[in-house]
Amino acid sequence: MPTVEVSYKDLCSLVGKKLAIGELKNAIAYAKGEINSVDGDLLKIDIGDSNRPDLWSAEGIAREIKGRITEEKGLPKYEVKKSDISVKVDEKVNKVRPLTVCAVVRNLKIDKNVLSQIIQLQEKVAGTFGRSRKEVAIGIYDLKKIKAPIKYTTVKHNEIKFVPLDFEEELTPKEILEKHPKGKEFGHLLEGCEEYPIFIDSTNNVLSMPPIINSDYTGKVTEKTEEVFIECTGFDFKFLIPALNVIVSALADRKARVENVKIIYPDKAIFTPDLKPKKTFVEINYVNEVSGLKLNGKEICNLLEQARYQAKLKGEKIELLYPAYRQDIMHFRDVVEDVLISYGYDKIEPVYPKLVTVGCIAEKEVFSNKVAEIMISLGLQEILSYTLTNKENLFKKMNMKEERIVEIENPVSLNWNVFRNWLLPSIMEFYSHNQHVVYPQKIFEVGDVVLIDEEQDTKTKDVKKIAAGISDSKATYDEMLLILDAFLSSFKVKYKLKRAEHPSFIPGRVAEVLVNGKSVGLIGEIHPKVIKNWQLEMPVAGFEINLEEL
Amino acid sequence: MAEYKLTQEGKEYLKKDLPEKNLVKTLKEGPLSLKETKKKIKNLSIALQWAKRKNWVKLEKNILTLIKYPEKFPEEDALRKIHEGKEVEESILKTLIERKLVWRITEVYKKTEEAVIKAGNVIGELTHNIIRTGLWKNRKFRPVDLELKKKLDKSKIKAGKAQPYNYFLMEVRKKLVQMGFKEMTGPIIETEFWNFDALFQPQNHPARDWTMTYQLKKPKHGKLPDKKIVENVKRSHEVGIAGSIGWQYKWNPKKAMQLVPRAHGTCLSARTLASKPEIPGKYFAITRCYRPDIIDATHAIEFNQLEGIVIDESVTFKSLVGLLKLFAREIIGAEKIKFVPAYFPFTEPSIEGFVYHPKLGWIEALPGGIFRSELTKPLGIDTPVLAWGIGIDRLAMFKLGISDIRYLFARNLERLRKHKVIS
Repeated sequence: MPTVEVSYKDLCSLVGKKLAIGELKNAIAYAKGEINSVDGDLLKIDIGDSNRPDLWSAEGIAREIKGRITEEKGLPKYEVKKSDISVKVDEKVNKVRPLTVCAVVRNLKIDKNVLSQIIQLQEKVAGTFGRSRKEVAIGIYDLKKIKAPIKYTTVKHNEIKFVPLDFEEELTPKEILEKHPKGKEFGHLLEGCEEYPIFIDSTNNVLSMPPIINSDYTGKVTEKTEEVFIECTGFDFKFLIPALNVIVSALADRKARVENVKIIYPDKAIFTPDLKPKKTFVEINYVNEVSGLKLNGKEICNLLEQARYQAKLKGEKIELLYPAYRQDIMHFRDVVEDVLISYGYDKIEPVYPKLVTVGCIAEKEVFSNKVAEIMISLGLQEILSYTLTNKENLFKKMNMKEERIVEIENPVSLNWNVFRNWLLPSIMEFYSHNQHVVYPQKIFEVGDVVLIDEEQDTKTKDVKKIAAGISDSKATYDEMLLILDAFLSSFKVKYKLKRAEHPSFIPGRVAEVLVNGKSVGLIGEIHPKVIKNWQLEMPVAGFEINLEEL
Repeated sequence: MAEYKLTQEGKEYLKKDLPEKNLVKTLKEGPLSLKETKKKIKNLSIALQWAKRKNWVKLEKNILTLIKYPEKFPEEDALRKIHEGKEVEESILKTLIERKLVWRITEVYKKTEEAVIKAGNVIGELTHNIIRTGLWKNRKFRPVDLELKKKLDKSKIKAGKAQPYNYFLMEVRKKLVQMGFKEMTGPIIETEFWNFDALFQPQNHPARDWTMTYQLKKPKHGKLPDKKIVENVKRSHEVGIAGSIGWQYKWNPKKAMQLVPRAHGTCLSARTLASKPEIPGKYFAITRCYRPDIIDATHAIEFNQLEGIVIDESVTFKSLVGLLKLFAREIIGAEKIKFVPAYFPFTEPSIEGFVYHPKLGWIEALPGGIFRSELTKPLGIDTPVLAWGIGIDRLAMFKLGISDIRYLFARNLERLRKHKVIS
């Protein structure tokens, strides 16, 4: 969820209305936003919609809520004038970053607020919508420092030198990737490329090396900048066009003049940006079917106008135009949501679904709960632990050889990088955190373990198990067996015990528990070595039983 | 050699004469009607039984007459002798034991009596033997020590208790079942297919990035489901389905086969929809979920999600609002709720319900929406499906009065022992 910082005064002036913070809070909900903090004039706003980059700036928020709380409704009007600027795309870029769309914006009046919004929007669009610059990298330049025509081409790793943004020395592209912080951060996007992409003007002045860094000379926008050249690069127009439209629409909202750029690809020429609205339609019936409201065509048109559509009623259908900065409308449903947002979620009269259905708790959970009840009645404290753990806990501390288990590729911590395949280590870990608590300590856990199982679609299987432990100055097999016996006989489970060997237990003081001739678990006294491994000094007796085999 | 003692009845007769002796003494004055005799003699039936057996009296037409007044009363003599600790004849002893006037003192009696006397003739602890021997009769019991509370050895007994968070989850389950919801279950390790693709989340979506979702080192790949479902999902992503334009990219089945620890519980809803659910149907799941978050007071290594679906021809956005309102009241126990627009990748329209907490103000608690057609149609569902969730971990924190999410999996035994059992 993108968080944007905006100036309260700037936002009000963009809306064209002074709003108290309380009023603004309610209004921002129309843009799926929530004011997260207010610090003097600075508002931090969380925008809930990660698929609407047009809402990630003061201009976008203002535009969206204006339709709901001011007289300004319907399509925001954008005009794109012609410019004489062109960009020639060299076919060499096909191998690295094949596509670009560009724009020119003039008559800018950049103050502190405008500048911070431009930079923030550029970062959010490239970062979140553009998948950390992979799909969209954006460059904005002082047009006055550029001599058109501009060329989008590639250079060898050390072919040229330029001063990257916020640096003083000239570096080659390769050096930028090695030395510049942005080079280190985004260098992986150019990994393996024989040549690196570059924008360069007719005087061989480098504009930038996308998607890494602008040049310090042309690529620095300040409060003095009056006109800019904007480029977006990537692999798919589906990302690039909305990204460019979002940025130029925001500047147009500041009364700047948007001009198009001719982009000459080897096989065709296109003009960008194109802010012509897009077409769709919705049926009155469909809106009411999904919403449960009983709206007529006129009402729906009115609500959509508030959501910045242009709506025309045509019989049972409503023909729609919507702004070019929106790329999120994939289905009629998306239009219905805009109807509902304008209608106001809090005005919707709830109806309670009257469906007669029979509920039930999953069998596994019912059984687990009964097992826990019996164990509690026997005086044991129930515990709950994580299913994630590490190999040291599962094997090394338990005096065991490693087994095949489910492992995580990208753990946040080495303490939690595998799934447990048995429960007794969780019991031992719990004891290790409670050495100073009054003994005897009698505990149990009913929980899942995850095993590898090639037969399953997920190659794994969750198994519900129970493990219990007793720890005191004396903790014996005999005492543990009393509990196991009471537990199993509560479920009328007949069991047998067979002498067993297990490295976690004292030799000779461990037995396998058999039900219907099948091994379902172990019971015994924990080996002193294991007790020491967990930094404990009290004897422990325990059992572990597979509940799914009972 | 055994010793004998008078029973309570024996002692009484020794003092007040045997009933049959009293009878013959009375009849010495002349015959009496049964009715009259009854008035004069206590225990008449016992007296009559023994006097008749000894041929001392006869009963004719309800009149009692003395046959002869006996010269001796050997039982009475025997009672006295036993009382004085003297020996008596075996046959009389047998009769007296039979009449329960005399009983044989056992080793148990002697030992118990000695102990009671040693303890100052006060009973400290009532025992099985004291009850058996009757030694408690006419004796005082030692009063309880009101200071004992200060001297208790608390390690001797501890209440076994349910883990509070587990208990809370079971209570929530019960409430949902009362409302007609059926519990869904599913695997902890999922294919990306069920975790993302079937939910119409595009393969390049940032949530599928490895900074947002765990990936497995081993095993790495699972199997895709039924071909038809896979084909539908692919089409939904690539060109759209059910009137949608789709995400317009090349869908990669290999990516969908990758295994992940489930990142949310919504995969269970998708699995349920794909396996011919009941219509109308109401389902819920409480799922352990996994995301590579940095662990802090609001992010635990593992967390639970509660979510579910309502499937029926009749459901609309209005009924979703109703459903969330019902949950706010029945499950969260909140009276005040407000709704705002929201965004979730699987639902459209989407909604978020905030409930009012007296101390903390408005809290995000009830996300919901109508599943996108791009999600339901490929799974074979043409009926509207309401999807809802309840922020169960936060709710648990409020209900259990804790401020750090990590305490839900408390590993402090002292804390668990002291925890008040929820009513």
